[in-house]
Amino acid sequence: MSLREALASGKFVITAEVAPGKGTEVEHLLEDAAVIKERVDAVNVTDLQSSVMRLGSMAFSHLLTEIGVDPVFQVTCRDRNCLALQSDLLSAWALGIKNVLALTGDHPVLGDHPKARPVFELDSVSLLDVIGKLNSGVDMVGNELKGTPDFLAGAVVNPGADNEAAMDLQIMKMESKIEAGAKFFQTQGVYDLDAFEKFMKRIEGLDTKVLVGIILLKSVGMARFMNKNVSGVFVPEPFVQEIKAAEDKAQASKDIAVRLIKGMKDLCDGVHIMALGWESKIPAILDEVGI
Amino acid sequence: MQDNTTNIKHNDYPPCKAACPILTDAREYVQLIAERRHEEAFASIRKLNPLPSVCGRICTHPCEAACRRGQVDEPIAIATLKRFACDGSWKDQYRGALPAKPSGHKVAVVGSGPAGMAAAHDLALLGHDVTILEALPILGGMLRVGVPAYRLPKDVLDEEIRAILALGIEAKTGVRLGEDIKLAELFEQGYKAVFLAIGAHKDRKLGIPGEDALAGVVSAVSFLREVNQEQNPKVGDKVAVIGGGNTAVDSARSARRLGANEVHMVYRRTLEEMPAAQQEIEDAVREGVQTSYLTSPLEILGKDGKVTGLKCIKNELGEPDASGRRSPKPVPGSEFSLDVDMVIAAIGQVPDSSFIAEEIEVTDRRKQIIVDGAYTLVTTQPGVFAGGDAVTGPATVVEAISAGKRAAISIDLYLRGEPFPSSESAEAKKPAMLSSSLIDKTRKFPRCGKQGIPINQRLKGFDEVDAVLSEDLATKEALRCLHCYMGAQVDREKCVSCLTCVRVCPLGIPATSKMGEITIDPFACQACGMCALECPVRAIEINLHSRGELAQQVEESAGSNQDGAILGFFDYHGDFGAGDVTSLRENHPSITPLFLFGLRRIDTSHLLTAFECGADGVLLATCRPDADPFPGETDRLKRRVNDARSVLDFLGLDGDRLQVVDMPERGLFDEGQITEVMKTITELGPSPLR
Amino acid sequence: MIIVERKSLEALEEMTKDCGRLLVLGCETCSAMCLAGGRRQVAELASAIRMERKMSQNQDEVIEDAIARQCESEFIDHVKDRVAGCDAVLSLACGAGVQTMAHTFPDVLILPAVDTKFIGSEAERGVWKEMCMACGDCVLGRTAGICPVTRCAKGLLNGACGGASEGKCEVGKERPCAWQEIYHALKRLNMLHYLKEKPQVKNWPVHPGKVVREDLREGEATTGD
Repeated sequence: MSLREALASGKFVITAEVAPGKGTEVEHLLEDAAVIKERVDAVNVTDLQSSVMRLGSMAFSHLLTEIGVDPVFQVTCRDRNCLALQSDLLSAWALGIKNVLALTGDHPVLGDHPKARPVFELDSVSLLDVIGKLNSGVDMVGNELKGTPDFLAGAVVNPGADNEAAMDLQIMKMESKIEAGAKFFQTQGVYDLDAFEKFMKRIEGLDTKVLVGIILLKSVGMARFMNKNVSGVFVPEPFVQEIKAAEDKAQASKDIAVRLIKGMKDLCDGVHIMALGWESKIPAILDEVGI
Repeated sequence: MQDNTTNIKHNDYPPCKAACPILTDAREYVQLIAERRHEEAFASIRKLNPLPSVCGRICTHPCEAACRRGQVDEPIAIATLKRFACDGSWKDQYRGALPAKPSGHKVAVVGSGPAGMAAAHDLALLGHDVTILEALPILGGMLRVGVPAYRLPKDVLDEEIRAILALGIEAKTGVRLGEDIKLAELFEQGYKAVFLAIGAHKDRKLGIPGEDALAGVVSAVSFLREVNQEQNPKVGDKVAVIGGGNTAVDSARSARRLGANEVHMVYRRTLEEMPAAQQEIEDAVREGVQTSYLTSPLEILGKDGKVTGLKCIKNELGEPDASGRRSPKPVPGSEFSLDVDMVIAAIGQVPDSSFIAEEIEVTDRRKQIIVDGAYTLVTTQPGVFAGGDAVTGPATVVEAISAGKRAAISIDLYLRGEPFPSSESAEAKKPAMLSSSLIDKTRKFPRCGKQGIPINQRLKGFDEVDAVLSEDLATKEALRCLHCYMGAQVDREKCVSCLTCVRVCPLGIPATSKMGEITIDPFACQACGMCALECPVRAIEINLHSRGELAQQVEESAGSNQDGAILGFFDYHGDFGAGDVTSLRENHPSITPLFLFGLRRIDTSHLLTAFECGADGVLLATCRPDADPFPGETDRLKRRVNDARSVLDFLGLDGDRLQVVDMPERGLFDEGQITEVMKTITELGPSPLR
Repeated sequence: MIIVERKSLEALEEMTKDCGRLLVLGCETCSAMCLAGGRRQVAELASAIRMERKMSQNQDEVIEDAIARQCESEFIDHVKDRVAGCDAVLSLACGAGVQTMAHTFPDVLILPAVDTKFIGSEAERGVWKEMCMACGDCVLGRTAGICPVTRCAKGLLNGACGGASEGKCEVGKERPCAWQEIYHALKRLNMLHYLKEKPQVKNWPVHPGKVVREDLREGEATTGD
């Protein structure tokens, strides 16, 4: 079942995420994908995540189609102007990629090429608009296409905005994204059930699908790093202590993920699990949750 | 009003100068004292005023009343500083201007008081042949016979008169115009012009019963004349002095010195309206003089031809009179008697013009000589001029000097057949007021005014009661000056409205217009120098240590010293004396000192220029924050020093050649610190740019 | 105004060491206003270069001057003789000034002493902030007077990227999130609905830019490309 079908079916949708590395080595990542192939509806492929130069999202998305995984091609606006973005989208369609996640992207200053010139000619909203245009048979400026894609476009939303202004801006932007054609949302990693419930209440009535983001907590250090550096992600102290106290960190991490998914699965339409290399643990988690 | 010599508008003068009848540049000499240039301070005073030591003691210093510092805390003690400048041995070095080429004109000056002396002095300098005619056997007029020696020692007066006469002026004493020689005769004798400065030496009568009949009633003028000629007039045990002017106070204080146990000053209004100088009244009270305000005499009581008391009545103040003062009104039934055995009448003087009344026009009531215009001092008779108390009635010494100087100008023009200057009256300028926020922001420093001798020593005789300030105190006092009108001026042509001045002014003075024009109120500005220095386009100039002047000093000093040149900047605000400067030059010849009102005005480019001109090192000795009027600006200086240091480091010259030290609590430098700094600089070797 | 910042002495030394007789020329409008290119800075810089030359036995003279604006030929005219007498000019003007000088004096080497940073304003003494990047298509009317093109690190036009934390931009904790500022400003003006309009895409101008005003031009009208 493709992601489009899964979303349409009304089932609890499960997606995961892989991040291509620096270099041409892809086998390892394909193995990870293979492990979860049967348990997830789609796998996202990140686009130079954290502005670190890596193998491209389009190529790896294509490789996933070859092993029977439905990829979500992540596209950021950081590195390409509107010509390149449109061209890449057409290319991706030609390579069998059907799902696109439109993102603005991190600033290059955060990555390993901090002096790189940022583009950001388009942003997530205008990119979704452009995808819609391509799907309708014209490019951004209205020229007709010969052969038209039919992307399922998605976007992201961060339920953990840390102040009222940021939250309002998130929700307004979410509305703009839906308006511009986003059919589903994957959220930033969520650890706070109450906050998520509140967020879902606020967006009640929006005609879209929300897949809650789960980041597997691999260590105390990772929790602390995210708290400090990742916008909108906040790992509450009890989780940190739980990991710290556990003898089997992996088990503890799994336990937390299970509790989170159980807690949120009735609030939303699916889950997006960011395992960060621990893809092999996903099936066990899903088993325990019972999905 | 225009100053004849410079054509500078009166408005541009600092308030102290504008307030002075002879336009003495108090700001200039106060600043020179602050710079320890006392000899020049004296010269600054003396060049305008032939009686500087006299004024240093008894001037009523209208300059102090106008002083802007007075709006902040207390005015600069300008008179005390004048006395300091005139009392030092440096004044012996003064060489005044020499008389101009003889004009061939003979001028007679009648009267040798301040008006006559000033006129004689200026006329002599203009090349005229001056003869002074004095009715009394001694010279000096009221300065001699009116002012007691405890305020103005006789030798001080002698010395100044001597210096004036040394210009080649002949003085004839014991010659009374109208009696010994007629005015017309003077012209017959070849005098081309006459200046009548006969003063006001005749007391006004009290006009009350008992005045003429009783022994023990004297007029203040005759009493003081005897006092001042050391004739030791007999005084009573209990004395009443009637009047509220300086003559009354002089009489009262003299009576105390001559043995009167009880002296009452009887004045019809209150202390507030009293015309005598406040300081004098305070001193009199301190010396035991009692005051009876709101009291008018009704009758002098006597027995056996001698005074036994003074019958008085209490007053209350009514409506303001023509002079603007509230006029006293007797309170019915409030009569009382003072038990006294001597009454001194000091209710004002009039000129004794009876001798010349047939030859010159005088006013009916006060017998003052009539002149045509206060400025030219021309009388109704050609070639005859008049001024001083004889024209105005009793006034101050500086007003008399002013009259003498104006008379000299008029007479000179008359003799040369040139027209008199326009005598437009000076419009009374309202004193500009500082805003309260500016007053708040201006640092306060306590005034160091007159230093008196102890009261118990005063009454023993007629020794001078005020002591001269020490150099330390004088410079400290002079450093309180706010440098009026020496501050920032914006060149509109150059200004780019960058607002730097607005941002750096510690007093918040620069103002902006809607269209970007910057204005700096010249009265409010205190010449701290920050705006002029920080202005990126150099559109602001300042009179106190202008940027160019400072750059030139740096260039000359840095290039001049052959013994290894270290430029030393010192702050005038440090507590040091002229001696400290001498010892610096002796002990550290390699340091060329430059003194500034605040090192904050040194720019990075000044520091770099010093090195460009070959200095081995630059030493900046900052004054202690407690003496600095702008201590907050030292930080900016330090940042500029760091900038200059980084340039020196970049050049390989070593930033350590630039050193900042603190001036010590006392003196110019701390020997230990200087030695260390010198060692650091010396070890770096001679500058490769030398 | 245009904000410039002086290059390091090291860079300037390298640039001017072999250039011969040098005129250090201030520019007394923008450069002076941001305290980088007025007479005062000219004096400091010229002094440093003179000392440097003296120490390296370089006899070439260094002179100094300043004009109101180096981007205007009328002002440049005032120093043309001085420039002609030099081998090089170290200009403290912005890029526009340096280029106008270079165009006016094709035989003299014109060197930039400052880096032209941006169009900005003084936030406090000694701090200048970029406010405008002259994008040629002003959107301030929709963003409550806060320019997202300049002040959002990504120049986003359709709202916050979500990367801010505690109101600060993801690129640096000292930078406020422009979009959160815009949010507050629009809210204050009761104009938050501006954020819900259809996606905006910037029209990027062709560089070098040129503004042609036929109503002001003298001579034959052109299309002015």
